[in-house]
This record gives sequence, structure tokens and C-alpha cells, in this order.
Amino acid sequence: MRLCGSAALLVTAALFAGAIVARSPWAAAADAPVRAAPVENAARIALGRRLFYDADLSIDGSMACATCHEQAHGFADGNSTHAGVTGEPGRRNVQTLANVARRKSLTWGDATIRSLEAQALVPIMGEHPVEMGMKGQEAELARRLGANACYGKLFRAAFPEAGGAIDMRTVTLALAAFQRTLISADAPADRFAKGEASAISLAARTGATLFRQNCASCHSGPDFTDDRFHCVAIEKSDGRDAGLGEISRRVDDNGKFRTPSLRNVAVSAPYFHDGASRTLEAAIRRHRGIALKGGQEARVIAYLHALTDETFLTDKRFAYPDEACEAS
Amino acid sequence: MTMLLISLALAVASAEAPATQAACPATSVALTAELASWSTPKPLVAAKSADATSDAALTLGQAADLALSPTPDMRYAIRPSRPGGSVSHGGMAQFIVAKAGIYRVAIDSAAWLDVIADAKSLESVSHGDGPDCSGIRKMVDFKLAPGRYLLQIAGNGAPKVRVLVTSVPAA
Repeated sequence: MRLCGSAALLVTAALFAGAIVARSPWAAAADAPVRAAPVENAARIALGRRLFYDADLSIDGSMACATCHEQAHGFADGNSTHAGVTGEPGRRNVQTLANVARRKSLTWGDATIRSLEAQALVPIMGEHPVEMGMKGQEAELARRLGANACYGKLFRAAFPEAGGAIDMRTVTLALAAFQRTLISADAPADRFAKGEASAISLAARTGATLFRQNCASCHSGPDFTDDRFHCVAIEKSDGRDAGLGEISRRVDDNGKFRTPSLRNVAVSAPYFHDGASRTLEAAIRRHRGIALKGGQEARVIAYLHALTDETFLTDKRFAYPDEACEAS
Repeated sequence: MTMLLISLALAVASAEAPATQAACPATSVALTAELASWSTPKPLVAAKSADATSDAALTLGQAADLALSPTPDMRYAIRPSRPGGSVSHGGMAQFIVAKAGIYRVAIDSAAWLDVIADAKSLESVSHGDGPDCSGIRKMVDFKLAPGRYLLQIAGNGAPKVRVLVTSVPAA
């Protein structure tokens, strides 16, 4: 048992906060580019979208990527954690996929996973815990998808250089292509940053200032994450999840988790790596070193609500595809 | 810095600690009256299409073990939001509500379920997990008027699912 982090970290955080205080979180949000997939990858994107919603990517056909990454929740989830196909409880809260093309690191506690193609293998084939349960089932996956005429056409269109091969490589390439199109840039806070003065409330504007002063040392940049791993929870670690230390095997990394993006955070409760914080209030209060007085917390939360991008949450290009095949 | 550490000390006292999951007892857990039949289900073969549900009638308050069909054989009344893969299973059954109120659909899997009336999926009023260690994976509540309803289950990982449709006592 140890208290997550150290006083030294707080000193570092305080100094770091001083360095960023002059930068508005919304100023960055407006203009930062998200790497979009090239136009010539349209077939690959269409294939990836169909695969994203296809439960044949799980051993018993009951779980798709979209089972946990729901558009209405900003491609996160409404549960603390999500059990896998075997009923084994999930370990960590589902993170948003909004602007995931921009992430320099992926997953809550593994700094070595830096591509969406590699990340996709964690839920599909991982065993700690079992999520979709497809380890060792690559041939079965190819059999299932190959039996679908639409997939045959889509794989040929998406991967002509590979002769339309259906395998884990092409599946993860297509999934990644679709995920790179999940761009959220039309939240009220984005519109405010572009000069639409009435886009967010006065309370949210005040909250943005408080956010900048109290939160933006880690929740920085256009997606409100530094993509780094920190130890911020105030409670003692119970040893069940060492976070980054589980992979790095460094004691100093125990209890560190990746800073989550806050885009669409108001629709993706609960919070933290374990999903144990059910509300934004609880999540804020679980951070070390943050003490908001009086109505400050409510103003920060008003700002966090201004990060909800309804255009993104309802964009039909990201939704469960129609039955009609995209390829002829 | 000193202020930060004081804040830390104060905040620790009000931290929301992660929940711990207790192990389940060897014997079945006691359930509330409306869920009591969960442990004594009756077998029932679910329909493959909406026009064949007359032989797949659920009794309110009585759990049933529904035998499902492979998803490729299903002709759903409406397109499920999560249809499941080609190796999954689905089925349909009907039930009749005589008195307006809140009705709960409990199942032992994470399958997608729709309650359908007039060819439309009804919005649920709440949802959640079943009681700890009960075997109920999820419960979805609907506000229903008297009438005939179709329960559509899609994307089930196994060829059988336990289901219970029951009225929810007023709070």
C-alpha cells in the first residue's frame, strides 16, 4: 500500500502549471489539426466503420468495438468498466475515441502502444482481461468475414495491393482508418474559441479560467490531455491496478495512468481509470492538489459541459452503417 | 506549495474510493418478490420472426429459458442497434400487459434487447445491473400501457438466454 505519487510531483506540477497558465485551453482547441485519413482511403474507412460495428470480431459474436465505444457517449461508455465475452469483469473505464488520431499514447497504462492498429489488438485478442476473446482465432475471423459478400468487396477495394486479403493486419488497418475520421471540433468551447462570443455561458468562461489554473498542467492541448502518464488520485492504491508500472515494471510508475481526453466528458461518466468516480464533481475531488472554493467547481463543470460536441455525437458518418453494402 | 499539501490532506478525507467486488456465496442469493421466479425458469422456444410469436408467449413474473436461433436465421421485427455477429443468436417472444405501469426486463447476458410496439422500439426509462450474485446481468425498465408487446433479443453469445419480464412495484 502506498499513497499514489509524491510531494515532489506536486512541486513539479505547480511549476508546470506556471508555465502553461498564459495559454487558453480553448485557444488551442480551435485550430489544432487532426490528421484526417486521405481521400483515397475511403474504401478502407468504410470497411473500418463496418468492422467497428461488427460483433463477429468477438469469439461468440456478442461484442463489437461499438459495444463499448458508443457514439452517444462520445465513443466512450456509460459504465464503470465493461465485462468481456466470458463475463470476466473489465479492469478499466472505456476511453473516448474523439480525435484519437491525435493521441501520442493509447490505453490507460501502456506507453508502448502508440498506433491504433496495435491498440486494436488489445480488446480483440487480449487476455488481461479477456474482452472480445479472439486470441488464436485469426483463421476463424477470416472465415466469418470471408463468408460475407460485402466484406469480400470491401476488402478488395480497401486493400487492392494485398489482393483483398482478410487477416488481422488488414482488419486493424481498416479499424484504424475509420477511427482516424472520428473528429470532434464543434463543441461550444470550440465555437467560442473561433469568436462566437455567445457559444458558452459566463459561468463556463469563468470555469475555463479556473480550469486553466487548476487542471491544464495535465489536461492540456486541443483535446485536454498531455498524452502522458500521471499519478493524480488522492486515495491509496489498493494494488489491484499498478497502471503504467504494470508494463514498465518501474516502481515509480505504479499508480500512473494516462491523462484522459476531456472532449465530450459530460456524456461519458463515470470517470477515472477504474470508473469509480460517478460524477464530474467526484472526479474533480479525486484529484490531488485541486481545491476549488465556493462555486468554482460548478463553473469548471459548466466549462466541461461546453466540451460536448453534439455534431460529433450525432454525425451519421460515424454511426452504425446501413445494411446496404458500400461496395458494388 | 504548503497550501497544495493542505488541500491534499483535506481532499483525502472526501475521496470517492473505488468499489471492491465481493465474492459470491455458494448458495443462491435471495431476490425480491418480483424477481423470485428467476431461479425457476420454464423452457420456451423463441420465435425467428415477428409473425411467429404466438407460440412464444412470456408470462409476466415467470422467468423463462429462451432457446434462440442463429442470427443469420433471424427475421427481426426491427433492425437491432446491435444485431450481433454471424455466430451469435437471437429470438423474439411476446407478452401482454393488462395494467399500465413500469415493467422490467431482466436477462442473464449482455444481449441487445428491444421492447417493440407498433413496429417501434420503445425508449427505456432506466437500466442497470442485476442484484449482485443473482445471475441477472442486466435489467431494463419500460413504462408500458395495456397491450401486446414484442421482446426482441439480438446478439446473444449463447443459444439460450434466461429472461424475466415483471412489473416493478411503485416506490
